[in-house]
Amino acid sequence: MKGRLACAVLMAPFFVLLVTVFLVPTGTAVWLSFFAADQPGLGFGPESTVFVGLRSYLAVLSDPTFLNGLLTVVLYCLLYIPLMVVGALTLALLLDSGVAKLRSWAQMSLYLPHAVPGIIAALIWLYLYTPGLSPIVDLFARADIQINFLGIDTVLPSIVNIALWSNLGYNMVIFYAALQAVPREVLEASVVDGAGPVKQAVRIKAPLVRGAIVTVGIFTLIWALQLFTEPVLLSQSTPMISARFSPSMYIYDAAFTRNNYGLAAAASVVLLAFTIALSYGVTRWTNRKAI
Amino acid sequence: MRLSRRTLLAAGLTAPLAACSTPQRRGAGGPVEITFWSALRGSQQVVDAFNSSQNRIRVVFQQIPSGGQGGYAKLSNAARAGNAPDVATIEYPQVPGYAIDGVARDITDLVTDRVKQKILPQALKLTTFDNRVFSVPLDVEPMVLHYRADLFQANGYEIPATWDEFASLARTVRDRFPEQRLAIFPTDGAMQFACYAWQAGAQWFDTSGGKWRVSLADAPTRKVADYWQGLIDEDLVFRNAADSKQHDAQLGQDRVITRLSGAWDAGAQMRARPAQKGKWRIAPMPIWDEQVVGTHGGSTFAVTKDSRQPEAAMEFIEWQCTHPDALTARLKSGTSSQYPVAPGLVEAGAKAFPGEYYGGQDIYRLFQQEADKIRDGWVWGPRMTATQKVMQDGFARAGAGVGTVIDALREAQSGTMPDLKALGLSTEEGAR
Repeated sequence: MKGRLACAVLMAPFFVLLVTVFLVPTGTAVWLSFFAADQPGLGFGPESTVFVGLRSYLAVLSDPTFLNGLLTVVLYCLLYIPLMVVGALTLALLLDSGVAKLRSWAQMSLYLPHAVPGIIAALIWLYLYTPGLSPIVDLFARADIQINFLGIDTVLPSIVNIALWSNLGYNMVIFYAALQAVPREVLEASVVDGAGPVKQAVRIKAPLVRGAIVTVGIFTLIWALQLFTEPVLLSQSTPMISARFSPSMYIYDAAFTRNNYGLAAAASVVLLAFTIALSYGVTRWTNRKAI
Repeated sequence: MRLSRRTLLAAGLTAPLAACSTPQRRGAGGPVEITFWSALRGSQQVVDAFNSSQNRIRVVFQQIPSGGQGGYAKLSNAARAGNAPDVATIEYPQVPGYAIDGVARDITDLVTDRVKQKILPQALKLTTFDNRVFSVPLDVEPMVLHYRADLFQANGYEIPATWDEFASLARTVRDRFPEQRLAIFPTDGAMQFACYAWQAGAQWFDTSGGKWRVSLADAPTRKVADYWQGLIDEDLVFRNAADSKQHDAQLGQDRVITRLSGAWDAGAQMRARPAQKGKWRIAPMPIWDEQVVGTHGGSTFAVTKDSRQPEAAMEFIEWQCTHPDALTARLKSGTSSQYPVAPGLVEAGAKAFPGEYYGGQDIYRLFQQEADKIRDGWVWGPRMTATQKVMQDGFARAGAGVGTVIDALREAQSGTMPDLKALGLSTEEGAR
C-alpha cells in the first residue's frame, strides 16, 4: 500500500505534465480543427461556432504554400539527417579509436555549441550570414568571391549548417557512449583476425551501435520536422524565407497573422500525423533490416 | 479555448450596448476617457489639439508600431484578450479582415449624414461591406510620381505621362548612366503593385455576387505584370525592397531618380532625406489610356468591439477626419503629407504643409486633381496581409530571376483561397 502511494507520488509529475503539455493541447488542436467560427456569405454577419468536419483539413491540404513547406522540410531532412548521423558517428569513431589526441578537450569543444540555446545560435549565424555585417562574407569579398549565404539556393544549406553546428556534438556523445559499451574482446578478436582501425570501425563498431544510430536518426527526424527557430530568425535578413517556409512557420502564420485558428489547428494535426507516420515508417524499416 | 473566446466576444458585444442605454460613464465627474492606438505620424499632436479643443472627452493616445511591424498583431491580440482600444487605426486593405473577425465594430448607425457629406464617397465605399460601414477613412492617397526635378532638368528628361513613356525614359536613363535607374520594382511592393493593377482596371476581389470572387491574375493584372516583367527582363529597373537600406542608399546616391507611391510619401521623404530639400517635385502617376489612378496607402479609424464609449469614440473620429484643426496639427508636425478624405480640408492642408521641400510646388492641388481620378469599384480582400506576403515572396524570387511577376500573383491567389475557405466564406475563383 505504502509502496503504491510512493509510486503514485513519484509518477504524478510525469502524468500531470503529460496531460497538461501534451494531451490537452493535442486534444484542443484536434477539436479546433473540426470547428470554426462561421459567418455565412461574405462573412460580415454575426459569427457562430459550427462543426465544419474536414473543411479545415481540405483547405490545408489544398494549400500549395503548406505543401511547399512540407517539401522544404523533407528536403531539409534529406540534407541534414545523413550529414548529422555520418558526421557524429565519424567523430565518435575517431575519438573512440584513440587517433584523436586531447580527447576530452575535443569532446568538450564539440559539445559546447549544444549548450547554446537555439535562438542564440541562430542569432550568431544570422550575424555571420548577413552581407554587410558578416566578417566571413567580407573576407570572401576581399578575395573577390561573391558569396550569398541567404540566396535562393543557399538558404537551406545555411540552415542545415546551423543545425549541424548545434547538434553534432550532442549526438557524437551519444555514439561515443554507445561505443564504450562495445565489448573489448570482440575488438581484440577482430584485430587478431587482421582488421585495421578503419575496417574495425566500419565493419565491427558501427554495426554494434546500430541501436544508437536508429535512436539518433529518429530523434533528429522529429526535431527536424519541427523546423522553426532558425528560418524565422533568418527571414529577417532574406526574402528567400517566406512566412510559410516550414510547416511550423505555416502554423504560426495561420494562427497569428491570419487569425485562422481552424486552419492552424488542422495544419498542426497534419504535421503531427506526418511526423508519427514518418517515424513509424523509419522504425519499421530499420527493424526489418535487423531480421 | 474557442468557447471562452466566443463568450468573451459575446460579452464584448453586449456590454457596450448596455452602456449605450445608460448615460455615458464619467470618471469621477471628469471627462469621458477613450483610448486610441495609431502608428500614424503626428497623431500625438492631433490628440493634444482635440483634448484642448473641448473638455467632455479625453483621448489617451498610444503610439504603436506600424501594421507590418507588429501593430496589427498587437491589435488582434488585444481584441482576443478583450481589451482593444476604443479607436484603432486600420489601413484600407486590412479593413475587411478586421470587420470579418469582429474587431472593427459595425458603425453604420454612428456615421451620421453630416460625416458622410463631408468625406469622399469613393473612400467610404472602401470601408463599407454588405451596406455596413466598418471604419471611417482619414486620408485617401492617389499614387503619384515623385521625381528628381534637378536630375530631370539637367538631363532634359520629360515627365512620363504614360507607361510607354515611362518605359522609354527608363531605357534612356539606363543607357546614359549604367549605374542609374529610373525606378525600382519593389520586391516588397504588393501594395504598389495592387495600385498599378487597380489603375489598369483589375478587380482582385469582388463581392457583388454575395461571394468573395478572387481574381488576382485577371486580364488587366496580367497586362501590368507583363509590363513590369519587361522592365525587369530588360534590366531597366532595380529589383529590391523599397523599405530597405539598399533603397535608401539608391535614393541618397542619386541612383534611383523617381518613386511611385501615395501622396503621403511626400512627407515621409522629407523626414527620411532632409538633405535632398528642393530637389524633388511631384507629378501625376503615368497612365495607360484612361485618365484614372489607384491608391497606395491611406488609413481609416475603426471603433473596436471592446469600446465602451462608441459615441465618444465616433465623435473623436469625426473630428480627426473632418476638422481643419486636426489636419493642421498633423501637418504642422512636419512629417505628414496626407491627403484628407474630406475635400473641405484641402485648403487647410495646402496652407499648413511646409512647401519648401518641394520648391514651393502646390502639391495639394495636384493631389486633389489626382484624387478625382481614382478608379471606382476596387475592393480589398479578407486576408490582405497574408495575400500580400505570399505575393511578395513571389516578387522576391522574380527579382532574383526565379519565376515571374505573374507567377507571384498566381501563387498569391492559390495561397489565399484555402485561407478564405477555412474561414467559412463563400468563395469563387476568377480567371487566372
